[in-house]
Amino acid sequence: MTRKNPLFYYARKLALFLLSVFVLSAAVFYISRLAPGDPLVSYYGDRAEKLTVQERQRAEERLGLRDPIHVQYVRWLEGALRGDFGISYKYKMDVTEVIAGRAGNTLILGGTAFALIFAGALALGVVCAWYEDRWPDRLLCRVGTIISCVPEFWLSLVLILVFSVSLRWLPSSGAYSIGSAGSVPDRLVHLILPLTVTVLGHLWYYAYLVRSKLLEEVRSDYVLLAKSKGLTRRSVLLGHCLRSTIPTYLSLMAISVPHILGGTYIVEAVFSYPGLGTLSYESARYQDYNLLMLLCLLSGSVVILCSILARIIGERMDPRLGEAEGWEAAEYE
Amino acid sequence: MSEAPFTRVGVRPIPPPRLKTRPWYEGRPVLSCAVLAVILLGCLFCGAFIPKDPAYMDLYHASTPPGGGFWLGTDAMGRDIFSMIWYGGRISLAIGFLSTLVSTLLAVLFGAASGLSPRWLDGLLMRLTEIFLSIPSLLLIVLLQAVWGKAGVISLSLVIGATSWTGVAKVVRTEVRQLRSCGYVIAARCMGAGFFRILRRHLLPNFLSSILFMVVMNVRGTIAAESTLSFLGLGLPLEVISWGSMLSLSEKALLSGAWWVILPPGIVLVVTMVCLTDIGNYLRRAAGRRASNL
Repeated sequence: MTRKNPLFYYARKLALFLLSVFVLSAAVFYISRLAPGDPLVSYYGDRAEKLTVQERQRAEERLGLRDPIHVQYVRWLEGALRGDFGISYKYKMDVTEVIAGRAGNTLILGGTAFALIFAGALALGVVCAWYEDRWPDRLLCRVGTIISCVPEFWLSLVLILVFSVSLRWLPSSGAYSIGSAGSVPDRLVHLILPLTVTVLGHLWYYAYLVRSKLLEEVRSDYVLLAKSKGLTRRSVLLGHCLRSTIPTYLSLMAISVPHILGGTYIVEAVFSYPGLGTLSYESARYQDYNLLMLLCLLSGSVVILCSILARIIGERMDPRLGEAEGWEAAEYE
Repeated sequence: MSEAPFTRVGVRPIPPPRLKTRPWYEGRPVLSCAVLAVILLGCLFCGAFIPKDPAYMDLYHASTPPGGGFWLGTDAMGRDIFSMIWYGGRISLAIGFLSTLVSTLLAVLFGAASGLSPRWLDGLLMRLTEIFLSIPSLLLIVLLQAVWGKAGVISLSLVIGATSWTGVAKVVRTEVRQLRSCGYVIAARCMGAGFFRILRRHLLPNFLSSILFMVVMNVRGTIAAESTLSFLGLGLPLEVISWGSMLSLSEKALLSGAWWVILPPGIVLVVTMVCLTDIGNYLRRAAGRRASNL
């Protein structure tokens, strides 16, 4: 529609992003406060039960929990716009500091997993399309389907059972051994099992998408033209078919960033890996409101940002997709 | 659809069917159906053949390895694992089917409503789904659980169903948007048919085949979700036996190296899910296959 003016185009996307984040923050704020539970438990720990009624009231007043929800929300919003997201009830620190301490671990795990999945899925998909319906393709499809059926937590358990308990090759928990937080090899050793589980859990889903997308391209008319020009099978598949699947793949991978980055939660839980996943679970469970809000905002903005990014990739890189929301169509084929 | 009497122009010739007659089972997920049927029936009629009471805690024989009086050993609370697998399967499968029912209902209603509504409302509804998607589902589950109180089979199904409908809803919406301008839908509208009538008589039969595969996959996803939640201690409590709650004891089993607590329930879980995937993939393939130009 207004694609002629790029400034307007991006301004619209930005406005959409801000609006979505705003709605998201309001939704999470209301849901979390309406849910029953006692935030004082996370502030005082077990002592919360021994507080007298007066002490409770005073504590709640000090934390600003006695006002109506919309007043609390406006207060939170004012603080947030100034960059002040409040303190975590549990850790008694600024929530930004709490998160900054953990974010690195999740980024390392999620980022590496994402890179491996991105490259691996593309490679596997191409191999499958190349050998369509012959034994390598069939074998990969079989194995991939079975692996993608294994729930992540059980895969983690089995890997721990084999590699940590029986063989004693790899550590079963944590991000580093006690006392060697800075040592790189130690961190790498701790990363192997969680990384394997994360990658295996997602790899086949994307590889299969690449495969089916490629197989669809292979059936289109330009392939006949390319073949009649005398191009080899390889250059048709890699140079033409693969190339035209890339925009869809990129926008799909943009969508998947939050899935992979945030989906590390279960893995973090099983391997007691100190990351953001464990933190958001704790904060939701124990009503650590401020921490929960910022975590949800972070993950939510990543999701929304990525989906907008995916749409931009779709609309800009591949004019055929247009407004048709190509990735949505691609995702469920 | 009957074939038109004239030659079709501009359509790529469809490869001729293979002349060799193929046996009826080729290309069909016969094995998966059979295995799934065994699991389903075994779980349904488990009372007839399981050797021990699955809930009975034989503390004297806690953590016995397989063999002896217990085919697959016992867990840390002395319950017979073989009996628990069949007995717990009922709960796991029931949750799988129930929550898929919930999510499919939600998805069809939401998707059809969004697809039939004017462009601005449709856009708004789709943005709302996106925001809904961006709230971490684990958080939603924790919060919904807090509202509904202690987890039971029904509440857990509702929670899982309420958080897993968006994928199908998007497909339904896309299909409905293509169908809404069809002659028969417009005709039905002109004759004053209501939303539910149009949905049931004209839309549902048309998009059913394209969501069927996703619905089967959803059963798989919800069974996995139940086991994951129960494993994390957010789902069913230990006393309610399901595949997930059986596995929630596995942290302890890891320390003692009791592999028989971890492997059998997980293997049954994975086998069930592989069968469902196989059937789902068959449904997807059945949608249509064209010849390669490569």
